[in-house]
Amino acid sequence: MIGPLVKNGIISGGVNTIFAVLIGILFGYALQRSGFTNSRKIASTFYMKDVDVPVVMFTAIVTASIGLWGLSLFGLIDLAKFYFLPSYLLPMIVGGLIFGVGMAVGGFCPGTSLASMVTGKIDAMVFVVGFFLGSLAFGDFYPIWKNFYQSGANGVWRIDQLFNVNVGLAVLLVTLLAVFGSLGMRKLQFKFWGKND
Amino acid sequence: MKKKLWDPIFGGIMIGLAIILTFYISGRGLGASGAMTDFAVWIQNAVSPAYTHSSEYFSKYVANGQNPLNDYLVFMGIGIMIGSFLAGKVSKDLKFEVLRGPNISDKGRLGYALVGGALVGFAARLARGCTSGQALVGGAELSVGSWAFMFSIFIGGFAVAYFVRRQWI
Repeated sequence: MIGPLVKNGIISGGVNTIFAVLIGILFGYALQRSGFTNSRKIASTFYMKDVDVPVVMFTAIVTASIGLWGLSLFGLIDLAKFYFLPSYLLPMIVGGLIFGVGMAVGGFCPGTSLASMVTGKIDAMVFVVGFFLGSLAFGDFYPIWKNFYQSGANGVWRIDQLFNVNVGLAVLLVTLLAVFGSLGMRKLQFKFWGKND
Repeated sequence: MKKKLWDPIFGGIMIGLAIILTFYISGRGLGASGAMTDFAVWIQNAVSPAYTHSSEYFSKYVANGQNPLNDYLVFMGIGIMIGSFLAGKVSKDLKFEVLRGPNISDKGRLGYALVGGALVGFAARLARGCTSGQALVGGAELSVGSWAFMFSIFIGGFAVAYFVRRQWI
């Protein structure tokens, strides 16, 4: 069976929706068991006190990147039918900066706030309410930032295209960045906060 | 007694597998912020349909009488909550509480949570996604914008960490 299954007509839209719930369950289960429902653990990243969060993120990216590339090499998945996210460089940089400030202040990102809320964490429930307000503010006052939001449309722009290398080499580069990034951050954690935490 | 957490490498591999599955089955990535915005728009539309329909940004969510909750990401969001609840149950971590550092009151922490949530809610729309749908999925897709977004998150967080240390450390 060659993926994407729904786009190749192997499963129906309804079955696809059921899989959305099942994949969500796997994702939510892994978030909770990785400690991502604890706002203190997430915020500890920004003090280098506990770098588990970036290590999990880097590992997830590398796993998915190698997995998808590997499946395409064996012809098990058709990359042409993928939805690739378009790049809007400047809005994404500014959005990322505001997002990072919000995470250090609020202690969550969207997925972790959903996961944490259902385990009874009241700070997560309040964060979710804040998210609704911020999100509505973006849409309801859209004319103010519309031009900026739409600026710098780079289309689908991948690292392999940026450096003009083949996809396999780009996957290797990202893997090395993730491995050394994780090891480096862990080293800083031990240096600043010791090994017992 | 709470159960010990997963090793971060194992947790990362599981989340990576979830991303591979969404692509293999659906040809798209996973996400979380989209479902939350859908829900916010659904509430706004219930309160004031005319206002929502006249919004340049939100009118597409409710165009042709469609329900903003009828979205792939909403089903995934429901799954995230079910999965986390189950994990909380097996690891004995279901409890009503406010998590915070020792140097701030519960009320103070909740104030920060509201402001932080609003900033993240705004930024997720500006960046067209969040840590899940933009950073993890885009990162795996080797998207230049997604990697720039992820580095910017770390820069923003490190820049402001000192000023909110009372809340956490």
